[in-house]
Amino acid sequence: MGRKSTGIAGVLAGVSLLATACGGGGQAEPAAEAGKPAQVTFWGWAKGTQQVVDAFNASHKDVQIKFEEIPSGNAGGYAKFSNAVKAGNAPDIMSVEYPQLPDFVNQGALQDISAEVSDVKPKYPAGVLGLVELGGKTWALPMDAAPQVFFYRKDLFEKNKIEVPKTWDDFKAAAEKVKKADGKARIATFFPDDPSVLAALSWQAGGRWFGTEGDAWKVTINDEPSKKVAAYWQDLVKEDLVKVQPSFSQEWNAAFEDGTLWGYVGANWGAGVMKGNHAGQSGKWAIAPIPNWGTPSSGMLGGTTFAVSKGSKNTKAAVEVVKWLTGSQEAWSARLSSGTSSGFPAITDLVPVAAKSFDASFYGGQDIYKLFSESYATIQPGWTWGPSMVQTLTAFKDALGKVGSGETTIPDVFDTVQTATVAEIKSRGLNVAQQ
Amino acid sequence: MTTSPMTQARAPGAAREGDEAWRRRGAILLFVGPFFALFLAVIVAPLAYAVYLSLFAEKSSGLGFGGAETVFVGLGNYLDTLKDEAFTDGFLVILGYCVLYIPLMIGGALALALLLDSGLARFGKVFQAALFMPHIVPGVIAGLIWLYLYLPGISPIVDLLGDADFLGGRGALGAVVNIALWEWLGYNMIIYFAALQAIPAEVVEAARTDGAGGARIAWSVKIPMIRGAVVTTVLFTIIGSLQLFTEPTVLDNSSDGIVSTWTPNMYAYNEAFGNNDIGQAGAASIILALLAAVLSYAVTRWGNRR
Repeated sequence: MGRKSTGIAGVLAGVSLLATACGGGGQAEPAAEAGKPAQVTFWGWAKGTQQVVDAFNASHKDVQIKFEEIPSGNAGGYAKFSNAVKAGNAPDIMSVEYPQLPDFVNQGALQDISAEVSDVKPKYPAGVLGLVELGGKTWALPMDAAPQVFFYRKDLFEKNKIEVPKTWDDFKAAAEKVKKADGKARIATFFPDDPSVLAALSWQAGGRWFGTEGDAWKVTINDEPSKKVAAYWQDLVKEDLVKVQPSFSQEWNAAFEDGTLWGYVGANWGAGVMKGNHAGQSGKWAIAPIPNWGTPSSGMLGGTTFAVSKGSKNTKAAVEVVKWLTGSQEAWSARLSSGTSSGFPAITDLVPVAAKSFDASFYGGQDIYKLFSESYATIQPGWTWGPSMVQTLTAFKDALGKVGSGETTIPDVFDTVQTATVAEIKSRGLNVAQQ
Repeated sequence: MTTSPMTQARAPGAAREGDEAWRRRGAILLFVGPFFALFLAVIVAPLAYAVYLSLFAEKSSGLGFGGAETVFVGLGNYLDTLKDEAFTDGFLVILGYCVLYIPLMIGGALALALLLDSGLARFGKVFQAALFMPHIVPGVIAGLIWLYLYLPGISPIVDLLGDADFLGGRGALGAVVNIALWEWLGYNMIIYFAALQAIPAEVVEAARTDGAGGARIAWSVKIPMIRGAVVTTVLFTIIGSLQLFTEPTVLDNSSDGIVSTWTPNMYAYNEAFGNNDIGQAGAASIILALLAAVLSYAVTRWGNRR
């Protein structure tokens, strides 16, 4: 009998060893004790965040931020956050880009912070504030905005006497001239993997992909202005006036390096990216307003907000941190201290802080923040992101892949995504208004 | 147990033999215990949890800003998944992949193993090691290496071939098959080679005495004698194909031909981590697991029959 028990005990010991080995990760968050500073956990991935957090922790005694760097949203960060909310160990503060905010509100992952942030709301332009107010409640505070601009090789444009395009018609004419000047060169790139560019261009053209009508979602991804944008880019792709390459890919960067890509339809933050990736071309680049359809206007391509998670037990401290992160000069100068980020504060009062931190010699000393501010002022109001943007953008990505080979056209893709998005929204039990 | 000689000779040392039996059971438990503990913890429990999750869905109402609630939907997720063309199309991709991949893989590995075994090849050990080496490379890294070789503008090969499009449209299937071949050819070759080495020399000798040439011996003697190994690798290859995920996922962003739901596994991943629909991801995974089980059973039956 003695033998038996040791045998089983051995097995049990083995099992319990395993159990402890597996259970090692779960530590309970220590409760805030009186006198000790409240700790607020914060998930983010933006460049310079660590410096911002360090600056906060150095200047605050009652609240301390515990920063955890996670993969960027679409690269897994959002999935991580959704799962953490389900598992009950979400951070207090989460970085959420504008398009994904409605998705997280629908999941019930965020807290309504309307009351706590009412004092800072007037600092924001209505168009940006509208993106974080859903169903009459405020769910996040905008950190940065992302006005659209056009980057171009000033030296090559001047050498070949190509005028910087003001309208999209000019842009096509310029594209033809670039191709004529150098058979291998193109004016810009169509990114089949990044539909957010098409979203921003549709937004700029006056399109509205989503809206609400009473208790129902209005889905109009293929509305007339958006279709106009789709047809325009289809034409550029078909006539081989733009390159078709994945965004931020090695081939895209290689094309800049070997001088066969003379421009980039992007947004303010691209200024830092271009400067970082192509240091050898310093002084050769300049930035122009985004071409338009007749009157200057812009959509928004990117931008991040900070939201407080549903499960947070430190709502008050978390909101204070969010206000500081988004709205203080200290936070912005720390964020941009590396000099490689050309972030644009959503609160316009802070733009001088940002402008001071960025060395624009890469753009021949151009006053690029003045340009961004002008573009920011023309962002079209009334844009709303839909409740299932991850699905919508994935559907775009999947379908746009077939444009390059001619299997489908960009306008057809808009119709496909419209149908897929309506189906997805309905399957979640949400109301969709009849078109 | 009652008919065993040990229990018949019960009278004098009953206590001792009882002890003996317990000891043996203890030993058995000791040896299988860790396996079952792990099996329960990492296979059965997650499987059961996936089945449980697959029976629920998140539903919101109106504009959805009131948050979502979890409701029991029974087999609803399974029906939705089976009705979803994105999911069923994934199986067509797998089918195409298998049709292209399995003959190339099995044929190629067999041919290489037979060559090495025949003694015709010089530097056999060197070739074995060289062919096996890609298998050591993790799938993600393999995907990245090949992505570099496929991408126009970066790849030295694409430029040499005059802008060949490896990643576009239907070319993508070939691109993925190529990576898989590179990774697995050496591995299967080693298995076949080991099996070939185990064939008794006198059997081959007898065939040679009867006048069979090298090719004839390979086809009529060696291959039939390593059928067990071949069936095993076919089985693993089919199951592996069903689980195709890593390489196409790495290529996804750069390839026009690969979509986010290209294979059933990618579909499940996308439902879980893209659409945040854990229920449907669970349903898709369970369907895939059942199919793999049925297929493995069919292949083993087919292999044993002959």
